[in-house]
Amino acid sequence: MEVAVKDRRHIRSLPRKTPLDPHVHAAALRDLQLAAVTMRRMLLYMGHRNRITLHYSALMSMTELVTLLYTHWLSLRPGEPHWPERDRFVLSKGHGAPGLYAALAMTGVIDERHLDGFRRLHSILQGHPDRLKTPGVEANSGSLGQGFAVACGMALAAKMDVAPWRVYCLLSDGECNEGSVWEAAQIAANLHLDRISVLVDRNGKSSYGWMAGRNDVEPLAEKWRAFNWAVEECDGHDFVSITHALARADAAGRPAALICRTVKGKGLPYFETVNTRAHVLLSDAEYAECMRCLDTLEREIADGENH
Amino acid sequence: MAKTTDVMTTAYGEALLEVGAAHPNVVVLDADLADSCRTEAFRAAFPGRAFDLGVAEQSLPTFAAGLALAGKIPFCNTFAVFAVGRGLDQIRQSVAYARTNVKIVGHAAGLSLGYAGPSHHATEDLGAARALPNLVILSPADAVETRAMVRWMAEYEGPVYLRLTRADVPPIHADDYGFALGRTECVREGDDVSVFVTGALVRLALELRDELQPEGIDVQVVNVATLKPLPAQEIARHAQRTRAGVTIEEHNIIGGLGSAVAEAYAECVCKPLRRVGLADTFTESDDRPVLLSAYGVSVEAAARAVRAAIAASDEPRG
Repeated sequence: MEVAVKDRRHIRSLPRKTPLDPHVHAAALRDLQLAAVTMRRMLLYMGHRNRITLHYSALMSMTELVTLLYTHWLSLRPGEPHWPERDRFVLSKGHGAPGLYAALAMTGVIDERHLDGFRRLHSILQGHPDRLKTPGVEANSGSLGQGFAVACGMALAAKMDVAPWRVYCLLSDGECNEGSVWEAAQIAANLHLDRISVLVDRNGKSSYGWMAGRNDVEPLAEKWRAFNWAVEECDGHDFVSITHALARADAAGRPAALICRTVKGKGLPYFETVNTRAHVLLSDAEYAECMRCLDTLEREIADGENH
Repeated sequence: MAKTTDVMTTAYGEALLEVGAAHPNVVVLDADLADSCRTEAFRAAFPGRAFDLGVAEQSLPTFAAGLALAGKIPFCNTFAVFAVGRGLDQIRQSVAYARTNVKIVGHAAGLSLGYAGPSHHATEDLGAARALPNLVILSPADAVETRAMVRWMAEYEGPVYLRLTRADVPPIHADDYGFALGRTECVREGDDVSVFVTGALVRLALELRDELQPEGIDVQVVNVATLKPLPAQEIARHAQRTRAGVTIEEHNIIGGLGSAVAEAYAECVCKPLRRVGLADTFTESDDRPVLLSAYGVSVEAAARAVRAAIAASDEPRG
């Protein structure tokens, strides 16, 4: 499988952490959109190739967020995963591990051939992130809500050291059901942690389906505000919107939460509409159909480039 | 509350201050119990390296893991019952499995908080902690051993659970005692029965030895200060030179020292063993010494266990 993004020169030419403008950065935006399509291909491939069930819907909702962080926002040195001044990314929604692995492969931190053995014995890619097995993984996660609290601890260290790096954490809206998330959020504000941005993947569904009327977390933005966090809101599939929210969050001077409105299953019509666990094993036909959807999407993005 | 007799926690606080001076990366986390956990001297000396997370015990291991991943050496402090009980999943996922350099200190373990009642008695913390891979578990017998362990913990790179008991125990170690991980310590040699004991109860085992001397029973007292990695070979060696064994602990007899030694006996020794400790029961409120007697952790109860173990042995008396 060809997973490396063939041409990212427009993204590479951007200075890190630049809020994007649809006119000024049109070429870079198309690069990012194509990179997101590539990531979706990698995610489908990981599940299908290894004949395992995956949380495809939860992976599709976080695709733009992770793509943007790894290709444009985080300060990283791919060949030097332990570079002390790197930004830290913690995937608190550990079931999104394939998204993190795809980002690490796309940016050259791990070799893409590892995707072939994902979730298999002796693989460096465990079902959920394992920092001791996978280069570039900063923290273990999978027990929901915990990655966020660990990220807060990292942000405390960054503050103590007046460090040049920041912590970015991807948290699912379902994780906001966990009491320990709010315990950590309260502490982060009390300790005035100014080097953490948490991106909440607000796709509206947890594992068992729609959260509204069942395990609802609304009013979510107000909750974070009430816990003394700066709150930004954005469209989690729109790179322009995400980068502006990230820039404001980075400058907040206190812990910042981004409520990123996303669509579970984004980009794949079957997964967008289904209201179940969507933790599925793809048949060959379904895999081919998903890939055809992405082919169409890719052509549309490329056509936009030609016009 | 009188704290003058709390020799091990006092020693812990002093040692923490000492390792804080020696290691600039040592950080202290509290959960609203800085006074009980004697971290106040450290807090005063290194205010930028001590953080009170508030009444939030689940956040101790996770914040500590984050700090450790950025190079700090965090010591988490709260009562043992909450340190392990409230934080168990966090310790499992973010400390033991992730092998982060986090030091969990469980204060007032066992029946230390006697009057507070069973909600505050840590009587299964060792069982839970012992089932976690990668985690070192230490249980000091006196102030000297506590200090030595804290110094060792600051140097050791990896997760540790330190279990402290509030008890008025005179030192059994000389001041120059040096702690070695994964070793047992034969405090008194004896030919008839090996008594394996941990924590503040080592003192009780020494009294037991005196108690049984007139009966012609020669008790060997072995301090098992490292519960994990368990020094199973050394335990077996001590066991080989006596006819039977007895364990004594301030913990449920399920999951703690008794279980650990029984595992070693079953695999390597095949001699009678009796366990002294809480007989798989929750407790009640009262002063610690009263509770220890009431729940069968006493010289008398241990003596009965020794006699029973000897009676079960088919080896001739040595």
